[in-house]
Amino acid sequence: MSTEEHLVLELKNKDTQAKAFEVLVNTYKERLYWHIRRIVMNHDDADDVLQNTFIKVFRSIEGFKGDSKLYSWMYRIATNESLTFLKQKSKKSGISNEELQESLVQNLESDVYFEGDEIQLKLQKALATLPEKQKLVFNMKYFQEMKYEEISEVLETSVGGLKASYHLAVKKIESYLTDSD
Amino acid sequence: MKKNHNNKFKTPENYFESFNERLFARMSAEEEEPNTDFLPKSDGFATPDSYFEGVYAQIQSKIGFNQGRIISLQQRKTFYYAAAAIAVVFVFALGWKFNQKTTELGFEDLASAEITSYFENNEFGLSSYEIAENVNLEEISIADLTDTSIEEESILEYLDENVEDLEDLDLNYEELE
Repeated sequence: MSTEEHLVLELKNKDTQAKAFEVLVNTYKERLYWHIRRIVMNHDDADDVLQNTFIKVFRSIEGFKGDSKLYSWMYRIATNESLTFLKQKSKKSGISNEELQESLVQNLESDVYFEGDEIQLKLQKALATLPEKQKLVFNMKYFQEMKYEEISEVLETSVGGLKASYHLAVKKIESYLTDSD
Repeated sequence: MKKNHNNKFKTPENYFESFNERLFARMSAEEEEPNTDFLPKSDGFATPDSYFEGVYAQIQSKIGFNQGRIISLQQRKTFYYAAAAIAVVFVFALGWKFNQKTTELGFEDLASAEITSYFENNEFGLSSYEIAENVNLEEISIADLTDTSIEEESILEYLDENVEDLEDLDLNYEELE
């Protein structure tokens, strides 16, 4: 039995789940945080979504059948929670998703937890212009250094499709950065 | 330009002849990682100091773990009962103190519907031993325990079917006569 399978069993057992859950949170909190943060951009929002993600994982673990890897399942929950959070935010503000992306990038300039220089800010502006899927693939591949096979499990897309998305995303970012110089 | 006699669509010259070459060129291009030398290595996002150290504690408090264990509903109920019992005693004590000179409140002043509802909505979890200790069976009859009246014939039928040895019943035949 793998370590992951063992952890899942412990999470499903009432006597061992508290300790197992602590192990789970401490193992994945940073990776999931950065995945969420790159989607929602702001630290406080990322913190909220991260907590919701772990709470959802804890409450749904009984239904986890092991068809995919535990971390892929958690990444999927984190992605869905982040995208849902953004949709609710744009709905509350009465703006489109594109307008919300623009405002999130603008807010970075005064964000105390964004320490990026000019080129890093430009990169975020370029990413804000990408379709949702391309942006996700780019962040997972470039910043999180995930393999296409891993991204494929999370986003439930073929490896070929992901490669095409990544290539397109890099080309668009390159052209955005070149044009804005 | 090549014509297809089966339909009216046309393709550019040598389209099919060069298709394999173009397909393989694209596939090998996609296999190669695109050049990302122009991109910054990090994205510039930061977190507050020691943020990750406090993440588990925050989630723990939201889920309801206490000192690494889940507080079960059953345990919570015990706390609620204890708190409710203390509150009831406190309310009665206060009531007694402030109403000494006026009308005294007694148990009979409680609406019976409230008492019934309290017993119905609270699980006391008393063991059969505790019930036996506190309930005087001599002062209650079967009618106090159930609203349904049971015919004597049904009781006899039940006993006939379920009791193998009448001695087990420890009946006092003098009282039955």
